[in-house]
Amino acid sequence: MASSWWRWRRCCSWRPAARSPGPGSPGRAGLSGLRAATAAAAAAAARAQMSYFNLVKSLTSAFPNMYSISRFHHMTPAVCCCSKTRSGEKYTDPFNLGWRDLKGLYEDIRKELFISTTELKEMCEYYFDGKGKAFRPIIVVLMARACNIHHNNSRNVQASQRAIALIAEMIHTASLVHDDVIDDASSRRGKHTVNKIWGEKKAVLAGDLILSAASIALARIGNTAVVSILTQVIEDLVRGEFLQLGSKENENERFAHYLEKTFKKTASLIANSCKAVSVLGCPDPVVHEIAYQYGKNVGLAFQLIDDVLDFTSCSDRMGKPTSADLKLGLATGPVLFACQQFPEMNAMIMRRFSSPGDVDRARQYVLQSDGVQQTTYLAQRYCREAVREISKLRPSPERDALIQLSEIVLTRDK
Amino acid sequence: MSLRQLLLRLPCYLGASGPRRGPLDTISSVVSWRGQSSRSPAHWNQVVSEAEKIVGYPTSFMSLRCLLSDELSNIAMQVRKLVGTQHPLLTTARGLVHDSQNNLQLRGLVVLLISKAAGPSSVNASCQSYDMVSGIYSCQRSLAEITELIHTALLVHRGIVNLDELQSSDGPLKDMQFGNKIAILSGDFLLANACNGLALLQNTKVVELLASALMDLVQGVYHENSTSAKENHITDDIGILTWKEQTFLSHGALLAKSCQAAMELAKHDAEVQDMAFQYGKHMAMSHKINSDLQPFIKEKTSDSLTFNLNSAPVVLHQEFLGRDLWIKQIREAQRKGRLDYAKLRETIKAGKGVTSAIDLCRYHGNKALEALESFPPSEARTALENIVFAVTRFS
Repeated sequence: MASSWWRWRRCCSWRPAARSPGPGSPGRAGLSGLRAATAAAAAAAARAQMSYFNLVKSLTSAFPNMYSISRFHHMTPAVCCCSKTRSGEKYTDPFNLGWRDLKGLYEDIRKELFISTTELKEMCEYYFDGKGKAFRPIIVVLMARACNIHHNNSRNVQASQRAIALIAEMIHTASLVHDDVIDDASSRRGKHTVNKIWGEKKAVLAGDLILSAASIALARIGNTAVVSILTQVIEDLVRGEFLQLGSKENENERFAHYLEKTFKKTASLIANSCKAVSVLGCPDPVVHEIAYQYGKNVGLAFQLIDDVLDFTSCSDRMGKPTSADLKLGLATGPVLFACQQFPEMNAMIMRRFSSPGDVDRARQYVLQSDGVQQTTYLAQRYCREAVREISKLRPSPERDALIQLSEIVLTRDK
Repeated sequence: MSLRQLLLRLPCYLGASGPRRGPLDTISSVVSWRGQSSRSPAHWNQVVSEAEKIVGYPTSFMSLRCLLSDELSNIAMQVRKLVGTQHPLLTTARGLVHDSQNNLQLRGLVVLLISKAAGPSSVNASCQSYDMVSGIYSCQRSLAEITELIHTALLVHRGIVNLDELQSSDGPLKDMQFGNKIAILSGDFLLANACNGLALLQNTKVVELLASALMDLVQGVYHENSTSAKENHITDDIGILTWKEQTFLSHGALLAKSCQAAMELAKHDAEVQDMAFQYGKHMAMSHKINSDLQPFIKEKTSDSLTFNLNSAPVVLHQEFLGRDLWIKQIREAQRKGRLDYAKLRETIKAGKGVTSAIDLCRYHGNKALEALESFPPSEARTALENIVFAVTRFS
């Protein structure tokens, strides 16, 4: 566990000096000043063996405006400008681009759920109604095309790659159904959860059924490497839930624990689905790794922003109640960062916000602190890493769409 | 801590009481089974222990072995918190540890036996590189464990409780919620291990077979839940054909498809695979019918012993009688809204349900034996035959 955190820390280390200076970026002098300062701070941190936590704190206190979202949004393209960002083709909305291949996604998923019993079928199809974000399938098909084009300029998506999109969405949904029973959740995507309508017993069975249907579809692709890659996800999802059951006392351990849980519960599915389509489309292991890293970093950023939105958004937008994590006793990114400023939160974290009034107090602390900004900043770092990786592929509309998608992850509000 | 030490401690964790058989004890003396009386535990144990010798090791606790990772201390600890509550998971966990007849790790044993009985494929020599111990490939052993994992996972998931049906006698809501949580996670953990095991077999046909077996099993469990007796003790009118379909899903599919998968792993042809499937299916069916018959054929039964109103003898009895007469009989057996099981049992025994259930059990037993005929004679095949004899003997 610790090793993955340290590995992450190394790959997200400060290397602004390595980037070419962005043209026309606001505050150019500020940028070089930032580079110098961060390089110095990074060196100091390495010497002092500071935890990532403290590094972020020291940097963000030195540059109070550098982590605001809008600022970085302008700066990001400039900083990441590599020589081949523009492919010359018209830049379209990534969701539209992805949906061209995903027409009939939900109908096809429903076909995989060949169940004779009406009620059971209804339960399993409940979330495949076309109202989800379909974020994961979109990434999968865009990645498939990007890899295919990179490999041999093929503009087709193989049937097996499209199947991965379905399978990813099915695995995701199966885990949601179980998670809702575990969390005793009453609403999701703006409607009642399966467990509230049909009861817990049947909800658990529905989740198992969707998982089995996904496994059958996976086996039918006929590729043992792909089977291995995606079964890893199933294990990670369960281990992620177990991680959530336990808690750590040491502050630094807590953060590493949180990141590991975030990887297992969210990023692993995206990372491994991307890797799976790249394996199907291209024999080069370098490409597989690029796909995996893109998926992993976008996945981590996605969940971090999700955790932020739990504090900043209101329930109507989200389709599910907010402060949900606090009510479940979970200390997410904003809380962990806020705890640095308000050590009195430690006691609340340890008792998982179980005392009356804890949830509201914790929420107040978070909103008063810079926990939200810090978490967002961390998400931005992950997105930058994702873009850096995906930019190594041959230019294409799909590759650009994936770049744009990582930015959308940061700026979404639901 | 060794496996043995850990498993010996588990009953204490689970707050178990009452007589326990040591999990790793085997019966030392081997007496010809034909001399034994019908369904005494000693007889069944004997068949099983002989079979275990043939495959090379005791197969109890196959599925629990996977829990011996760092998660075990977590799961065991969590399950411990349920001691004193009414959550079904506790009963399931105890049943897994105590070597009771119903929770015998039969499936795994049968998969191993049939792997050995089929031997290496005569046609396809590509398995030469696989390692074989006691006549069974290591991939087939792995498959046997995976089968048990899937079975146990659903056993655990069956024990989830509907929170809005709780009564005050069930205890605090908090306990039930927690129990549900641990049950879901444990079941998912077992399934995840099963999936990983399947991936390691590097054979997508086998993955497809077992995944479809899981799908069947889930649907079977769903039917069990749905057709269980409602408040007025009247079950759905399903008829024996539907009963067979549903029982195949809940009890037959897993064993049948695992046996077939074991053949696929050794690269046997379609005919051999089909015979293995048929054995698995019919053996599982007769085992289930046998289990359903127990409340009706035991000589001494306590008055409070209940039975499942969707079991084979009852469904057959209902079919002979017709729906209306059956409902009348249930009403007559009710006293102040409670069902007098002893009275209903006598009523059923007086009818044709029990005898036709015995016939059905033997029918499936014979089909299983027929399927075995295509396998060459061997110790393993004899053990499989003995298992069939054991479940079809009622005298």
